[in-house]
Amino acid sequence: MHIPDGFLDPLVAGLFWVGSGIAIGIAVRRARRELGDERTPLLGVVAAGLFAAQMLNWPIPGGTSAHFVGGAFAGILLGPSLGVLAMTAVVTIQALVFGDGGIIALGANLFAMAVVDVLVGYAVFRGLRGVHETGAAFVAGWVAVTASALAVGAGVGASSAFAYELGVTVPIMVGGHALLGTIEGAITAAVYGYVADARPDLVLGRTADEGLSPEVGL
Amino acid sequence: MKALTRNSWGRRALLLLLLLVVLAPAFGWASGVVGYAEPLENAAEATGAADEASPLISGPFPDYSVPGLGAPAGTLVSAVVGTTLTLVFALCAGKLVER
Repeated sequence: MHIPDGFLDPLVAGLFWVGSGIAIGIAVRRARRELGDERTPLLGVVAAGLFAAQMLNWPIPGGTSAHFVGGAFAGILLGPSLGVLAMTAVVTIQALVFGDGGIIALGANLFAMAVVDVLVGYAVFRGLRGVHETGAAFVAGWVAVTASALAVGAGVGASSAFAYELGVTVPIMVGGHALLGTIEGAITAAVYGYVADARPDLVLGRTADEGLSPEVGL
Repeated sequence: MKALTRNSWGRRALLLLLLLVVLAPAFGWASGVVGYAEPLENAAEATGAADEASPLISGPFPDYSVPGLGAPAGTLVSAVVGTTLTLVFALCAGKLVER
């Protein structure tokens, strides 16, 4: 999912920087009200856990492998603002320290994994939780990672390195991650179910539903 | 950081992080066995973009390896360093935003 440097046209990379910059800026402003002695440590632990979980490449027979991305999980557990911040920490460390994803492409990788994955996951979960909570977490993880794959597919497909072949890049990215996304959904649902059982007070919205922060308006 | 070692949930969370870190080399080996390919790599192959990737910086631990160390040890060190850095970075960012 991580786009290396050289894949995106400068204009496309710049647009992604603007989009992720605005979304992360809004998330920082909103996070001010939410952070504190209780949630700041949780933000750190969730971010670190997502980094570690992303290192676990699940081998899939047939020559592919996928790792948990976790943006939807972050959004569901922490809410949209802190979820965006947690994933921003993960994706930034991956690029700067491990060369996973480019520097020019960092804006695009942040947009896909720290913005789209988190916000779509959060929105889908909120929309469906009334029907079935664990099922909503599954669908949220699945749909969100597919949506972020769409963002990546559109970005590279609009770039010259990929010969502007949007008709090729989007189906490969969306199709591939829609399949792999079932694993993302299953892990999201399993871990969410565990945390919600063990520590319901840590789950945003479980103790005071009306206290849920509204989605970041992007 | 103090809140993490003081609370029982914080200690449990740190243990869970340690477990994930220890698992990283095993998963790295297993995915190498089936051959690692992501949809983005497939899309790059299909459109002739595969050779266009040109990293500007590869970081001190390129591709989660440690120069001079073999795969399992390098992956483990990368997992320890990356998880710790992410924890500290997110905690510091949280503290800064809090104010």
